[in-house]
Amino acid sequence: MLDFYRRLHRTIRSSSGDDDEVRADGGVVSDGSAADPPAEPDRDLTARLKASLDRRFGSDFMESSVFWLPPFLLMGLFVYGAVIWNLLISLTDYQRFENAPDYSNLDFEMYTRALADSGFIDAAVNTLVLLIAFTAGTLAVGLVLAILIDRGIRFENSFRTIYLLPMSLSFVVTAQFWLWIYNYNNGIANNLIGTFGLGPVSWLGNQDIVLYAVIFALMWQFSGYAMVVYLAGLRAIPTEHYEAAQVDGASALKMYWRVIIPQLKGATISAAVVLMVFGMKAFDFLYSLSGGYRPPNGADILATKMVREAYANLNWAYGSAIAIVLFGMALSVIGPYLVYEYRRDNL
Amino acid sequence: MSDTEPRTDGGTTTRTTRLRRTLDRMTVEDVGLYVVLALAAAFYLVPIESGLVTSFKTGTAIIETAPFAPPGPSGLTFEKWRTAIDVLLRGMGNSLLYAVPATVISAFVGSITAYGLTIPTWNKSYKALVLMLIIAGIFIPYQAVLVPLTQFWSQWAQLDQVLSFVWALGIDEDYVGIIELVITHVAYGIPICTLLFRTYYKTMSDEMIESARLDGATLRRVYRRIVLPLSGPMFAVVLIYQFTQIWNDLLFTLVIVSTESSPAAPVVLILAGLGSSLEGQDFALRMAGAFFAALPTLAVYIFFGEEFAEGVAA
Amino acid sequence: MATLELDSITKTFQDGDEEIVAVDDVSLSIDDGEFLVVVGPSGCGKSTTLRMVAGLETITAGTLSIDDRVVNHVKSQNRDIAMVFQSYALYPHMSVRQNMSFGLEESTDLPDDEINRMVGETGEMLGISPLLDRKPSDLSGGQQQRVALGRAIVRDPEVFLMDEPLSNLDAKLRAEMRTELQRLQNDLGVTTVYVTHDQTEAMTMGDRIAILDGGELQQVATPLECYHEPSNRFVASFLGEPSMNFFDVTLEGDRLVGDVFEYPIDEGIRSDLGDATDLVLGIRPEAVQLVDAAGDHEFETTVDVVEPMGDENTVYLHFDPDVEPENASTLVATIDGFNRVSEDDTVIARIPPDAIHLFDRSTGEALHNRSMENAADQIDL
Repeated sequence: MLDFYRRLHRTIRSSSGDDDEVRADGGVVSDGSAADPPAEPDRDLTARLKASLDRRFGSDFMESSVFWLPPFLLMGLFVYGAVIWNLLISLTDYQRFENAPDYSNLDFEMYTRALADSGFIDAAVNTLVLLIAFTAGTLAVGLVLAILIDRGIRFENSFRTIYLLPMSLSFVVTAQFWLWIYNYNNGIANNLIGTFGLGPVSWLGNQDIVLYAVIFALMWQFSGYAMVVYLAGLRAIPTEHYEAAQVDGASALKMYWRVIIPQLKGATISAAVVLMVFGMKAFDFLYSLSGGYRPPNGADILATKMVREAYANLNWAYGSAIAIVLFGMALSVIGPYLVYEYRRDNL
Repeated sequence: MSDTEPRTDGGTTTRTTRLRRTLDRMTVEDVGLYVVLALAAAFYLVPIESGLVTSFKTGTAIIETAPFAPPGPSGLTFEKWRTAIDVLLRGMGNSLLYAVPATVISAFVGSITAYGLTIPTWNKSYKALVLMLIIAGIFIPYQAVLVPLTQFWSQWAQLDQVLSFVWALGIDEDYVGIIELVITHVAYGIPICTLLFRTYYKTMSDEMIESARLDGATLRRVYRRIVLPLSGPMFAVVLIYQFTQIWNDLLFTLVIVSTESSPAAPVVLILAGLGSSLEGQDFALRMAGAFFAALPTLAVYIFFGEEFAEGVAA
Repeated sequence: MATLELDSITKTFQDGDEEIVAVDDVSLSIDDGEFLVVVGPSGCGKSTTLRMVAGLETITAGTLSIDDRVVNHVKSQNRDIAMVFQSYALYPHMSVRQNMSFGLEESTDLPDDEINRMVGETGEMLGISPLLDRKPSDLSGGQQQRVALGRAIVRDPEVFLMDEPLSNLDAKLRAEMRTELQRLQNDLGVTTVYVTHDQTEAMTMGDRIAILDGGELQQVATPLECYHEPSNRFVASFLGEPSMNFFDVTLEGDRLVGDVFEYPIDEGIRSDLGDATDLVLGIRPEAVQLVDAAGDHEFETTVDVVEPMGDENTVYLHFDPDVEPENASTLVATIDGFNRVSEDDTVIARIPPDAIHLFDRSTGEALHNRSMENAADQIDL
């Protein structure tokens, strides 16, 4: 038996011995050890540079950069490069059929023009109303659905699938559905309130109503998403907490309000951020609703106004300026969120 | 005793007994719960159901029947679907032409990026900085990059001239838009794909990766032989999520392909103009078009609902 | 094979603004073919030390050499080491054979049939040949453990590193594997560093053991040396179950004065103490004897609790019957299983002068240990 080990040993030894030699020569460079024979000065230099980078950023920095750096650069170029370029364009007077912006004369003219444009102010106000009402409403509906579904019901999967279904549809598709629902003569909305002797209401024609009609439709599409996020949050709460609250004699309502909902803070924050972003992308919905760049009167938001100014009116610089305002709004939501996630070590 | 009896009797009795027993145990509160859940389900389904029945109605049936009621035999027509398919079919092809490659590429790139940012050891705070920049990319309103994007594709990249040999083969020049859409969607898809894969890779056993490194595997080999083969479940999630997002997106198609009459026009672009390009508002046609355009994503959702839910929840 | 040399190895972590020293100036030198067990309570830095040897953690200061080659900045895969992890870390999507071949495929240019042959032979050696085509998820914990071991052995590395490899096994299997691991290491003769928190593994497996506490090396010696001649109070208390008895005493002339007893010492011991007067007296439970006659080193005590273990009894003794049991000074003694004592009995406990340890109370340093020869004599008795 022992003889067998020795034989095994010898074979392994001899083979890995060869390997050592191969490694001793190639290995040093990749190890970044400065003890490299200075045969090729170039190689020595890159080796030393690599070593110092590795020492500063961590042992795998150089080797791992192959994986993340090219995609990061591509994405950085398209996202941050484009935002900076956009900022530059917004400082020019680029419009109409000029081939390229003239960067020699930069000023804030487009931003002062925006402040003087009542259409811009309306759109900005609408954007804020839409973001806040849509986010709050969707979160509330999603939370209620999640709590109902989490009560150990039967057919849970079927209900969840149905509630999330609208989210899989394109804005372009759902816009068609809601156009039909809000139809003045034959739509379900007027049909429904008609049974209570109300209406008919011109949902998309009335400037005071249209924004809320749009918000309602968006809530329909995304409350399933909020439900899924809350459901995951609820599932993470140990059953003992429910049981402890019940033993303490708390009513169901009180238990949720005082024990469960406070623990859903993390879920609420991440869902709210994502929903606000969806809200800012409501462009697709509004565009499809009207079949063009101009959404129904009273429902113009910054996202639609920006595209309209740039692509319909060819006011490129002005569109860019509106885009920067929109970007600033997004940043004011995402920035704190990312810092929050970083602090919680969640990145 | 009652347990054994139905079993010899047959399946139907078992089911009814069980149902009855379940009903016996139901309290008023439970009934209320199910009623609320069912009403909510109706709320989510009615817009879709009403769209579906309307798509089969003739013009008169639309006026005469309730919007959510099915058409009577006299009001039933498949004409609208035929028209919708005629108009949208080429758009479907175009959409697939960019949605499929863009989905696959962005999933792979996301997986590689997430791997490089999760598994190898390097300074945590630099990693966090790179990650923050990437994650912020998920939330950027695309309006903020539209004008430069137009500039880039129309003035700088000049892909249509580079690819002139392709047009010589008789392919319409507008198809350059499809290639531009693939690259654009990949670039803007990297953040979300990276984030999804990262949440998955974070749960992988550190010891397993360390063991592979000690076994002499380089980072590339660790990815190829350990991490990639174990990424299957996450690829399902990411592919489904990305496909839905790319297929459904209107904004980029609008600024890159711009006109619905273009031979390269994607289905969402044609659909958005479907109603308005015709006299009056032909809702039946709109509904038929909407359903036809939504078929791929609906199919994906129905077959892979779990993965979709996981993708949106992450 | 190889020697392994740790010279003033230090590891600090940055936690916010705070700097945490995980491993503090540890120097160790491990001979070719030696089996060294690194032991200590959790958080003592033993795993961090092992991971620095493996190249999984960077070394903050000091040098690490394998066979006189400094490897501080050599990547893990080029150090020619194999590691067995506590979780086994098997690749779940690969069969046992693929798991074992992986390292050879990645680190050598051996042809496939050669690799296959070596995997087959190693599998035979470990008795896992029938499992070679199964996936790790189909194996029991013990079988997974063997595969993890086989994966390390087949690579025939310069150094084996083992991070609590047996702690996920049940007690019976753990005892079996302990012996088997020792046998394998003997046969293969590979330098091995073995980390554990289990003192039984430390005492039984290692040629030498290194005891760590708070990131600092306390003692490196053979298991028996560490047990009988601990370098400080921590080592004395860490090894041995039940733990050594400690009493705070003050040296007054030739007597050690404690709260509950006075203990005369002879000149031999006295000379070991130097100037120190604030001391801790230590006595191992098995050194305490129950005797009939009273004397200078004999004390009358009351039995508080008896824990019968079968072959022996653990007896908790109190010096002062008037003090509430929870406040009284307790002396733990291990006595023969046939020696029947029961609770509340009054017994005379002898603390033999040749078996006592004395530590400096402020530094914990051992000033006087029982001598190994005496200990051996006692075992003969």
